[in-house]
Amino acid sequence: MPVDSILPLLAVAIPAIAIPLILALGRRPNVREGVTLTAAFATFATVASMVPDVLDGAVYETDLGTFLSTGLGDPIGFTLQADRLGVLFALLASFLWIATSFYSIGYMRGLDEHDQTRFFAAFAASIASAMGVAFGANLVTLFVFYEVLSIATYPLVAHDESEEAIWAGRKYLLYTLGGGVAVLAGTVMVYAMTGTTTFQAGGIAALTEDPMMARAAFALLVGGFGVKAALMPFHSWLPDAMVAPTPVSALLHAVAVVKSGVFGIARVVLEVYGPGAVQDLGVGIALATVAAITLVTASIIALKQDNLKRRLAYSTVSQLSYIVLGLGLASPAALVGALLHIPAHAFMKITLFFCAGAIHVETHTDDISDMAGIGKRMPLTMSAFAVAAAGMAGMPLLAGFVSKWYLLVGAVELDLAIFAVVLLVSGVLNVAYYWPIVYQAFFEDEHHPDPKPLLEFPPGGLASSDTGVEANSPRTNGGRHLATTAEPTGAAVDADADGPDSVRSDGDGDHEESVTDTDVTDDHVSSHGGGHTADSGWERRSWRTESTWFMLGPIVLAAVGAVVLGLVPGHVVFLELIEHIVDVATEVTH
Amino acid sequence: MSDLTLLPILLVVVPLVTAAFLLAVGRFVGGAGRVLALVATLANTAIAFVLAGETLGQDGRPIRTEIAGFPAAEGGIELFVDGISAVVLGLIALVSLGVLVASFDRRRQDSFYALYVLLMAGLSGMVVTNDLFNLYVFLEISGLATYALIASDGSGRSALASLKYLLVGTVGASLYLLGVGYAFVATGYLNMVQLEGAFAEIGHQEPLVQTAFALIAAGLVIKIALFPVHTWQPDAYTEAPDRVTALVAALVSTTAAYALVRISLGVFTPAFFEANSLIHTLLLALAGASVVAGSVLAVMQREVKRMLAYSSVAQFGLVVLGIYLLNGTALTGTVIHLLGHAIIKVGLFLGVAAFATAYGVRTVSEYDGLAERAPYASAAVAVLALALVGMPPTVGFVGKFYIAIGAFEAGAWALLAIIVASTVLTLGYVMRLLERMYFADPPDSSPVSPPAADLSTDGGDPTDESATDGDHTVDEPSNDGPSNDVSRTDTAAAGRISRPLLAVVIVAALATLALGVLGSTIEGALAATVEVLV
Repeated sequence: MPVDSILPLLAVAIPAIAIPLILALGRRPNVREGVTLTAAFATFATVASMVPDVLDGAVYETDLGTFLSTGLGDPIGFTLQADRLGVLFALLASFLWIATSFYSIGYMRGLDEHDQTRFFAAFAASIASAMGVAFGANLVTLFVFYEVLSIATYPLVAHDESEEAIWAGRKYLLYTLGGGVAVLAGTVMVYAMTGTTTFQAGGIAALTEDPMMARAAFALLVGGFGVKAALMPFHSWLPDAMVAPTPVSALLHAVAVVKSGVFGIARVVLEVYGPGAVQDLGVGIALATVAAITLVTASIIALKQDNLKRRLAYSTVSQLSYIVLGLGLASPAALVGALLHIPAHAFMKITLFFCAGAIHVETHTDDISDMAGIGKRMPLTMSAFAVAAAGMAGMPLLAGFVSKWYLLVGAVELDLAIFAVVLLVSGVLNVAYYWPIVYQAFFEDEHHPDPKPLLEFPPGGLASSDTGVEANSPRTNGGRHLATTAEPTGAAVDADADGPDSVRSDGDGDHEESVTDTDVTDDHVSSHGGGHTADSGWERRSWRTESTWFMLGPIVLAAVGAVVLGLVPGHVVFLELIEHIVDVATEVTH
Repeated sequence: MSDLTLLPILLVVVPLVTAAFLLAVGRFVGGAGRVLALVATLANTAIAFVLAGETLGQDGRPIRTEIAGFPAAEGGIELFVDGISAVVLGLIALVSLGVLVASFDRRRQDSFYALYVLLMAGLSGMVVTNDLFNLYVFLEISGLATYALIASDGSGRSALASLKYLLVGTVGASLYLLGVGYAFVATGYLNMVQLEGAFAEIGHQEPLVQTAFALIAAGLVIKIALFPVHTWQPDAYTEAPDRVTALVAALVSTTAAYALVRISLGVFTPAFFEANSLIHTLLLALAGASVVAGSVLAVMQREVKRMLAYSSVAQFGLVVLGIYLLNGTALTGTVIHLLGHAIIKVGLFLGVAAFATAYGVRTVSEYDGLAERAPYASAAVAVLALALVGMPPTVGFVGKFYIAIGAFEAGAWALLAIIVASTVLTLGYVMRLLERMYFADPPDSSPVSPPAADLSTDGGDPTDESATDGDHTVDEPSNDGPSNDVSRTDTAAAGRISRPLLAVVIVAALATLALGVLGSTIEGALAATVEVLV
């Protein structure tokens, strides 16, 4: 039963208090970053201190009074509640915030980004609201933080202030707040039908009295949360949002923001409707089908992305659907797999993004086609990338395997072998879009890279063989490759890959100019140290000198996390939490 | 208790006497306007709070006042204050106080302050009266004061806008008066309580009753400025002096909407709308159309004030929707939204006033990079703008949430869709503004403002400014439309935002946040009153 405690509030309040401090300390960057790090450690400590008791079934609750009340039902409290599901999400987000904070310092300073104060403040705001999403004890409280999260992340997406970033920001807000509208409508329906929005293990019983209405509300809620979970057809904000600085892509667009959508769906399935009701109403299978379509389609699209971050984004779209698929199936094993995939995917994907960011900072390379032989320049980074990518594909002994195993068992249990097939196909596709990156990094030579048929050719091939050697010659400027020389080889690739590169990475106007101007290129490269040029190729560096430890440390930490989750899942707190959650949720209904 | 029944009278009499005194004696005393107006607003604020304390809450009772010992049965005028009126009275007094503080200026003449308190008298009168004809009188008083205030900067454009408002507003008031006439012919009463009983007696489908309602509603809807009879409003809001716009936008339509609540629910009662479903449907359709059309028109505007004016059209669509959903939840939402919208709009228009006076910027495109020049004012405006969108945990969300639940209760699916979708519609025009303020580079040096001076005063970051300067020397040599500003007496381009003005904007922003978490408190306080009305 709920224990009154200030801890859930504290987890939200610590990053929230950090916001004004960060803003006030804008002129003293070292102190400002100190505040971020302190807040990150304190938040994690707060959440972690709740874990032991929560594992035993305790629920910490901070009741901040009544938020809304009507004559129709119970008053809706503004209540924060740390139950197992909430702690699962909060623990993950707060732990990775620590890693990302260090990484952000290395990244933002490495690129000498503008408006860093705003960046760190908005980051803290995003974490505060993510904590709120985790601990919201009813749909309305969750919704409040869910919307605040959308707003708080917007300055990070539009950080670059370029035309493209502004548009990505607009799209992001339109999609997520549009999803919020659906969530609000669904919440209103649930409240009006049952008189409560409080989460209850096994679901709100009164909800199924009117099945049609219940289905409609489910569609609205899940559809709304599904926007942030990047379910197709509402996924396209996510690849566009990759224009944000990489730490944002790493923590928010692989962990906190997108998973708040997934988490919302988990709350709806487990604690608003209950797994039993989800199956009985038939909405689970519908959700699982959407997820299955998304995960295959996104994997296929990922094959064609040349920009590394966009490929990772489509991979995220696909992997998030693993989780949604499991939630839709709603059998015990599938639920365990789904929830376990939340931390598993988080550790792996954050590693991959950290690597992409490190490559960007060190070499200003964004496109996969420019990365042949990059293993020489960044050995440790690319090794971590290889490990995480293998995990994504579901290799045994890595985090992705365990969760996928449970998902497969869940699908087979329900005699829905088709979903098992989809999962296996997706595993193959994962190999297909990650392996080339790893392979060319270590086993190809930047002077003579192998052809990349998928990237260089339009679907269906070319009529003439005029692709030329040109396309294979190394590029010096980190990103204009396709726009300038590969024109005849495929407009489709251009459209996707060219856009984000041209203006994204650097805030200063000078860089944009130098990219288009080949004369300046050499200066540019040498000034950043270690980019490869047409003449010299990649500089060979050891793992000690390839980058700053502000970035390498988090990369190693996250990669190790992914391995540990795969090797000894039973000894990491996540699996234990999840098994309890699923036990309770299914016990009540079955 | 006899003392308390005098208070509603004082709400009207204090400002009325102040206005008369200022006009009659003020020119001999000189400079008394500011002080006396402040005293009057403070007095009204205090009275409104006492009344609120008395009428709100579970054991709050409405206060009825007979004037001069004439009972209503013999044709006397009555005043009536219940929980909802008390809330609106408090709003009127507080907003007047805030705008007054923000508009102190040595150059203003006493006549301005006289009109100012006269407007307050008219609006308070509309809220406290319990008599349909008396309401007309106060409607005209507040109307006349508004016309004069809008034209008070003496420019041709504002005079024209004021004239337009005068013509349309007079038509509205006349329609209202005609409706009152029909009601009087049908029943022989003007007192709202007596009318309620009489209407029920002669039947709600009686043509005289229907006509009376149609005319009264049409008149008030013009005053509220719902689409498609909103056309006076954008001109009036845009051309009026900035601080007058803030006052008018926050209070005039709000009070008219309050009158619509009172007359629709208290006099004609929900039973009338059940009997006349066509009128009911028409009103709901009008309100829904207003939400959509207002938002779309707002997106298309270049001038910030005009954009906010169209936004009011949309927001009052929501308010009227809430009224005619005819249940307690929606009515609670309506009152909260009335309150919230007024505070949001007064803050936003004062923010616009601040930017216009300090930097001479008036169009959306001129708002580029304002956040760097004026971080505090920009942050407050951003909070207010998000409250307008209806982001939780601001008051904008609370009102919308209650109205949405009310729509569900009434089974009005299309309306529920409009209400929740209004979030995204509002976002359309709000984001244009915020994007400019926060993510666009400021123009290198605005022709009207001395760049060096304003940076230091507002705590902006001078290094950022100078760093971006170099890149944009060629981009925008001048912004389109500064020529408009020259004629405005208000535009002094002082280069810095005056402290009182900034303070009021920030207070408004904080108030939207504070009210946002007090949703259930407000609901509890209003519950008894709402129950009586629905």
